[in-house]
Amino acid sequence: MADNNRKPAMKVVDIWKSFDDREILKGISFEVYPGEILGIIGPSGCGKSTILKIMCGLLDQDRGEVIKNTDDVGLVFQGSALLNSYTVGENLALALRGQKMSKEQEDVQIKKTLNLVGLGDYYDYYPSELSGGQQKRTSFARAVVATPKIILYDEPTTGLDPVMSTIIEDYMIDLERELHAASIVVTHQYSTWTRTADRIIMMHAGKIVWQGKPDEAVNSDNPYIHQFAHGTREGPMLNAVAV
Amino acid sequence: MSSSLTTGGRQEAPGKRRLLYPLRFAEQYFGNGIRLMGGTLILLYKTWSCILRGKIDWGETSRQCEMVGIKSFLVVSITALFTGFAMSLQISRELVLFGADTAIGGVVSLALIREIGPITAGVTLAGRVGSAIAAELTTMMITEQIDALKVMRIDPIEFLVVPRYLAAILMMPVLSVYAMFIGLLAGIVIAYTAANLPVATFLDSVKQTILDRDFVVHYLKAFINGTIVASFSCAIGLSTRGGAEDVGIATTRSIVWTMTMVFVFNFLVTSLTYAPR
Repeated sequence: MADNNRKPAMKVVDIWKSFDDREILKGISFEVYPGEILGIIGPSGCGKSTILKIMCGLLDQDRGEVIKNTDDVGLVFQGSALLNSYTVGENLALALRGQKMSKEQEDVQIKKTLNLVGLGDYYDYYPSELSGGQQKRTSFARAVVATPKIILYDEPTTGLDPVMSTIIEDYMIDLERELHAASIVVTHQYSTWTRTADRIIMMHAGKIVWQGKPDEAVNSDNPYIHQFAHGTREGPMLNAVAV
Repeated sequence: MSSSLTTGGRQEAPGKRRLLYPLRFAEQYFGNGIRLMGGTLILLYKTWSCILRGKIDWGETSRQCEMVGIKSFLVVSITALFTGFAMSLQISRELVLFGADTAIGGVVSLALIREIGPITAGVTLAGRVGSAIAAELTTMMITEQIDALKVMRIDPIEFLVVPRYLAAILMMPVLSVYAMFIGLLAGIVIAYTAANLPVATFLDSVKQTILDRDFVVHYLKAFINGTIVASFSCAIGLSTRGGAEDVGIATTRSIVWTMTMVFVFNFLVTSLTYAPR
């Protein structure tokens, strides 16, 4: 849980970003603390994935600042993003390249992490030999094998069946407890942000329109979060969506 | 502040618009090509700076050598053999008419070492390897595999481009020399069967005609072809965004650019080394 006396693991200050003439992010600011899972929610196209890519350095912002107290960042991609010509074990070994570890130590760490996500027997498998859920779990394992201080999740449960979504959500909670990392989950899946997040920020049209706890979100009078949490047609977001 | 040179719906001064028009025309029609050439040069610079700092994954490089070189031998053999057959047949026919059949070996070998060997290997590699590199890297871009490398603080140039580039410049001379020998073999067969020329006479003519400089230029052309195939294909692959359709577009673009550049640079090297002074 967040403790405001502690130093944030990552602070995002007044981030602006445009693509061509379209402004995607309009002055986004927030912070996330060690041991906290922050959920970033909002409808498709509101800038959630863009802010995530800026946070992990894949995109440059036009204005603003991302302040991190560490460079140890792991990212779980929406589409797994595993290297197809490498085995599961080799994919995880890539994340340990920068660490000064012997081959034996690397192997121990990889097997330990694969066991954590229930893929201990899949060390020598290629990504093409795995199911979608197994690929997602491998992507998880790769993101956390180097025990990062900050873990970013991009739509971790989108496209998965409810059972697999629950398994993935449980892994997120377990990993957060195990590593005590600061986690940021970008999602629009109701079960994911209600089950995993300690705190929520809601984005709409490039701005933060609400923030609070998941249980507050469900009962909030804020028209944006109310509409999003209840999935109704009536509300301010309908105007921005093509119907 | 008012400005007459702005876009986005605002008016421009007519005189300045006319002045800018050729630049816009050039940008519109040649912009992609100019950007690609600039991107390729930058990529080449970054690749060489990795190589010179010793940042080379030799395991991956040897794997790429197998992909680029060993697996290309069959297609290079077939291409070089039939090119050699056709060319030798034409040369033999003309030289026999003039009673210069003893020069067949020299003319055939000259054509092979100076032009046909490097061109055959270059074009074959552009089609077989360049397209594969472009398709692979584009797929990796689209499926966020390259983003994943960046997040893991792995430089995609060091990890992906350097091994492919090294494999291309190491294997291209090997394939080029191999193509030349296969072509020569085809020449011997044709000279013997079509012009009744003994093998010893053919080889004697080869020895008298080929100079040491020809081998140097041959290696230079092979090195340049390897550089063209790897750098253009990697630059195209790493600059493509979009979906599955873009993999096909990138592959076609890679073949067109690498083959065109192989022919252009082949001519440039020939004109710099063999043009009469």
